[in-house]
Amino acid sequence: MPRSQAVDPIAIRKSEVLKIKDIPVNQYKPDIKKELKKYGEKGLKNIYYDMLMIREFEMMLNSIKTEGSYQGITYNHRGPAHLSAGQESAAVGQSYNLTADDFIFGSHRSHGEILSKSFSAIRQMGEKDLTGIMENFFGGDCLKVVEKGFKNGDTSDLAENFILYGALAEIFARSTGFNKGLGGSMHTFFSPFGSMPNNAIVGGSADVSMGSALYKRVNRKKGIVIGNIGDASLGCGPVWEALSMGSMDQYNTLWDKDLGGAPPWMLNIFNNFYGMGGQTSGETMGYGMAARVGAGVNPDNMHTERVDGFNPLAVADAMERKKELLLAGKGPVFMETITYRLSGHSPSDAASYRTKEEMDAFKEHDSLLSYGAYLLENGVITESEQGDMKAKIVDKITNTMSLAINDEVSPHVNGAFIESVMFSNGNEPKLDDREPEVLLPKEENPMVKTNAKKNRFAYDEKGKPYSAARTFTLRDGLFEAMIHRFYEDPTMIAYGEENRDWGGAFAVYRGLTEALPYHRLFNSSISEAAIVGSAVGYAMSGGRAVAELMYCDFMGRAGDEIFNQMPKWQSMSGGVLKMPLVLRVSVGNKYGAQHSQDWTALAAHIPGLKVMFPTTPYDAKGMLNLALRGTDPVIFFESQKLYGIGEMFETDGVPEGYYEVEEGEPAIRREGKDLTILTIGSTLYTALDAAEKLNSEHGVEAEVIDMRFMNPLNYEKIIASVKKTGKILLASDASERGSFLHTTASHISRQAFDYLDAPPVVVGAMNWITPPAEMEEFFFPSADWMVDAVHEQILPLKGYSSKSNQTNGELMRRNREGV
Amino acid sequence: MADKVLMPKQGNSVESCIIVSWLKKEGDAVSAGDIICEVETDKATIEVESSFEGTMLKTFYEEEADVPVHNLIALIGEPGEDISMYSADEDNGDDPVQEEKKISVEAEVIESAPVVAAVEEEGKRLGSPRAMNLATFKGLDIRTVQGTGPEGRIIERDILALTKDYPSISPAAIEELLKSGRPMPVKGSGIGGRILLDDVQNSSVVESSSMAIPVVKGDFPGPVNEVKVRGIRKITAQHMFDSLSMTAQLTLNSSVDATALLALRKKFKNSEESLGLQKITINDLILYAVAKTLPQFPEMNEHFLGDKIVQFEKVHLGCAVNTERGLLVPVIKDAGSYSLRELSGKGKELFSAAAEGKSNPDDLAGGTFTITNLGSMGIESFTPVLNKPEVGILGVCSVSLKPVQVDEEVRFIPHMGLSLTFDHQAVDGAPAAAFLKALVSAIKNIDLLMAM
Repeated sequence: MPRSQAVDPIAIRKSEVLKIKDIPVNQYKPDIKKELKKYGEKGLKNIYYDMLMIREFEMMLNSIKTEGSYQGITYNHRGPAHLSAGQESAAVGQSYNLTADDFIFGSHRSHGEILSKSFSAIRQMGEKDLTGIMENFFGGDCLKVVEKGFKNGDTSDLAENFILYGALAEIFARSTGFNKGLGGSMHTFFSPFGSMPNNAIVGGSADVSMGSALYKRVNRKKGIVIGNIGDASLGCGPVWEALSMGSMDQYNTLWDKDLGGAPPWMLNIFNNFYGMGGQTSGETMGYGMAARVGAGVNPDNMHTERVDGFNPLAVADAMERKKELLLAGKGPVFMETITYRLSGHSPSDAASYRTKEEMDAFKEHDSLLSYGAYLLENGVITESEQGDMKAKIVDKITNTMSLAINDEVSPHVNGAFIESVMFSNGNEPKLDDREPEVLLPKEENPMVKTNAKKNRFAYDEKGKPYSAARTFTLRDGLFEAMIHRFYEDPTMIAYGEENRDWGGAFAVYRGLTEALPYHRLFNSSISEAAIVGSAVGYAMSGGRAVAELMYCDFMGRAGDEIFNQMPKWQSMSGGVLKMPLVLRVSVGNKYGAQHSQDWTALAAHIPGLKVMFPTTPYDAKGMLNLALRGTDPVIFFESQKLYGIGEMFETDGVPEGYYEVEEGEPAIRREGKDLTILTIGSTLYTALDAAEKLNSEHGVEAEVIDMRFMNPLNYEKIIASVKKTGKILLASDASERGSFLHTTASHISRQAFDYLDAPPVVVGAMNWITPPAEMEEFFFPSADWMVDAVHEQILPLKGYSSKSNQTNGELMRRNREGV
Repeated sequence: MADKVLMPKQGNSVESCIIVSWLKKEGDAVSAGDIICEVETDKATIEVESSFEGTMLKTFYEEEADVPVHNLIALIGEPGEDISMYSADEDNGDDPVQEEKKISVEAEVIESAPVVAAVEEEGKRLGSPRAMNLATFKGLDIRTVQGTGPEGRIIERDILALTKDYPSISPAAIEELLKSGRPMPVKGSGIGGRILLDDVQNSSVVESSSMAIPVVKGDFPGPVNEVKVRGIRKITAQHMFDSLSMTAQLTLNSSVDATALLALRKKFKNSEESLGLQKITINDLILYAVAKTLPQFPEMNEHFLGDKIVQFEKVHLGCAVNTERGLLVPVIKDAGSYSLRELSGKGKELFSAAAEGKSNPDDLAGGTFTITNLGSMGIESFTPVLNKPEVGILGVCSVSLKPVQVDEEVRFIPHMGLSLTFDHQAVDGAPAAAFLKALVSAIKNIDLLMAM
């Protein structure tokens, strides 16, 4: 909603015809003279060599999966092998003109891309750089095996063997693999050569690669970024979201011109015409040619074209042209590279969806054969050279395999190692040393000035609350943490819906628009999946991202990104990647069933996420400070009920300077000896009301604890409290069934069993839709419900009559009815 | 509705108690924790505390009455309250067989949450884990407790209500009790006698205070103080009279070279604290020697029952303890199975309970042989009185120097006197003397005995 650009009603109502520009299809014309001039004999041979190497690599795996051996060496590989035999020309052609600064992200079928991208990078790199990379990678663990286990030639040959072994050891889940064996066939990568994570979720690399390109543009880094995904992934919503967000007008209209234009991002479809068994063109999609999709995204058609991926030189040519466009900031680019997989989807593929005739027809077009013949025809290569190449490659692959399956040379990691890479637990105030780009000194910021006049504790000396306008609120605490980090870490960016100008739907960012250039704070398209997915790509590329989803309920829109991408990459990379990504989500109310849910349980369930939920201004600032200096993915829950509250617990008020809340520590908000009440989120304040009632009306002194952290969570304080009181009520606004409090209750039962005077009792919201605001009292836990639950389940109160039904019979009924 | 005071059941073998005295009379104000009356079993006197506030409305028995346990003995409530529906012989469900099946519940009515009897279903705990633990620490039988928690569950407050005058104990001390399995100390060193961690760690026998000997002087007969013979005094009187009138007891005196005994005791006293041997006393060593020697003389470890003699394989060793209430004889069951350190610990536990008047009556019965020690009083020899139907009792006397001829010279060697009384009805002089001789040898060579 930039005020600098007005929407013109006359212009939008004008009668005209929208013309779509032509989309080139298979326009490459082979010309051996030109090709020899461009690539040289060596270059053309290298392309053949790389294709041959990939084919042998894949056939080795195919042989192991289907026959249990290769070259007489037996091995049982238990994991997956999605092979790309037949697609070598597309991968090698793409990599030819890319450097190590150019990133490619891939799919579950990307062995060929890892090899081709790395081989290409090796040929362009000096000896010293290559040696440095290999020696520094996991302290040389992989290199040592290769140095000892191969008859290595020069440094390039050593590096080639290093790539073959690192990739295969990873596929076989070995600790000497590229990702310590934790990524495996579908996820592995080798970032020093620009081979970035491959993704086992169909289309998963679309938004992640777009975020990586965003990182390159915002931080003025060299190179382009390609997301390689399959044709069938064009049916996935997040792919379309990535296209939308990757092609936003603001890159050209609003962002600083000197940045260089749109993020250098290309989405490439390796179109092999099948999504597993679904025929995309003819059965499951309707685009005719995938290249058409680019025309629906922006007036440039995203520079889309269909390229004949059966000819590596056609692909190399297209890549050379597209890379130039991208580096000039004229992207994004959409490309369809047609190819064909000769092997099955996986070894279990019975080819029930395609005919033998079709497969035979494509064998005639096998790129390895046709390109080999093309070189022979034109005298670039001889048959005996081809034979020598083949023999050398078989020898290399055989040796690679025998090393990679040797348990002594290539062991598996243990459980302790897997645990050690779940979080990086870093403390990195900034991820780059350059001066952060800001628009004005922090002290001149209007919001900073306003906040300076506010009272940082909620009450005056007489215990009277200050007026709302004069109170430093939870919202202000978040703002202070954000602006602090923006002025510390030049790589930090924040985005989401209505983040700029509007200041975020709940005004947390009010004052940041004035402080930051567009590329550090911007409005995204309404693309929750791409918001989170791009932040994942941004963070794994080396920057710090704060993404915002406005309502917690919208997490559903970004399910894969939150559950499969954000939490997994640090560990799936074997600790190679870090994920300094904070995802802010806000728990709402008053807006009904799709805008009022607390989904802490969903987030806390997923290994690899840190989950925080502050409830006071002090914690909002201290916990966001903590999250923003870390290197782990954090789902940061906020409550819309609490944005406007002042600090009621820290009597010295919210500190003006920087501080952090200790990770994982719950906070005791009220002390008591008779009963513990543990809460998540805004329910804290309801529980404090309940504690007051229990005390004044029943003489029961409740201790109230605010959980604050769902993961990691240190149970010591909670257990100590329960040991003291013997009784615990757990309450939150999340629907009761599957609430995170049940996990907590279970831990407490186990750890404090002998001290319990009653079972831990969870009071949550009903297992219904959140009704409209007028009926919320039937839905969310009230102080009365809590007292009732104490009376019915924990400690009968003399002379008390329950106002709600908290009996076991009712619990039984609700579960039986499923409500 | 008046609150009922029942005759408590103290120990599994106790079926009835005699009301010794009423400390609260009808019409007296009663606070929770006040002692209402003293009752006695055949071995111990017990103070019955009130768990209730109010006025003593009715006492159902006179002093000296022998009342079955769990019978209603008194009512506490508001003056003028109608108590006509109560009677002394009211069945309070004290049948031990029934007790396993159901728990009698006096319902303190809580509106909207009616108290339900905690039915002991198979596999169901009667109380919350916390309440069960607390009851264990307080020595309370959970089956006698009425639950006021949800569905009649016995919860912490129910135990607290019944035990609030029990010694208070710190959480750290509870942890230590749980961890160490040590006995609960009788008295704490904290404020108001609160039991602290230190007390648990140093849990030991409370030394019995030396007897105050009244000095008689002045005009004859001077002021007199009439003390009614009752309680333990009365029981002891009967026991002693029976013993002397119904047995043929006589005493053999001997003495034993105490050099090794004293040296060992000194060694223990100076040993590493962590070994837990510092508090082993001379008396413990004598107990140990007797426990180890007796099994070789089954005729000394028996009960004489007139028409039959019951010989015991195991040694259940009684030890006379002087308490403020009078003479008590706690029994260490199967004393022969203990190591010296365990024996010492067990003895201290039982003796201190006796000294505090908190013995479980079950611990005051079942002895097969008794030891009585007057050594600390400087007694050189005496005639201990048999604890019928046992046939032997060993009197332990003081240690004094005795001239002994060693080779050509006379040396003064510390000797301890031993006085063994036996029942000639059951045992003859020779075997009794042989036992004493063996005991003398065992004590003289106590260090060797320890090694066996």
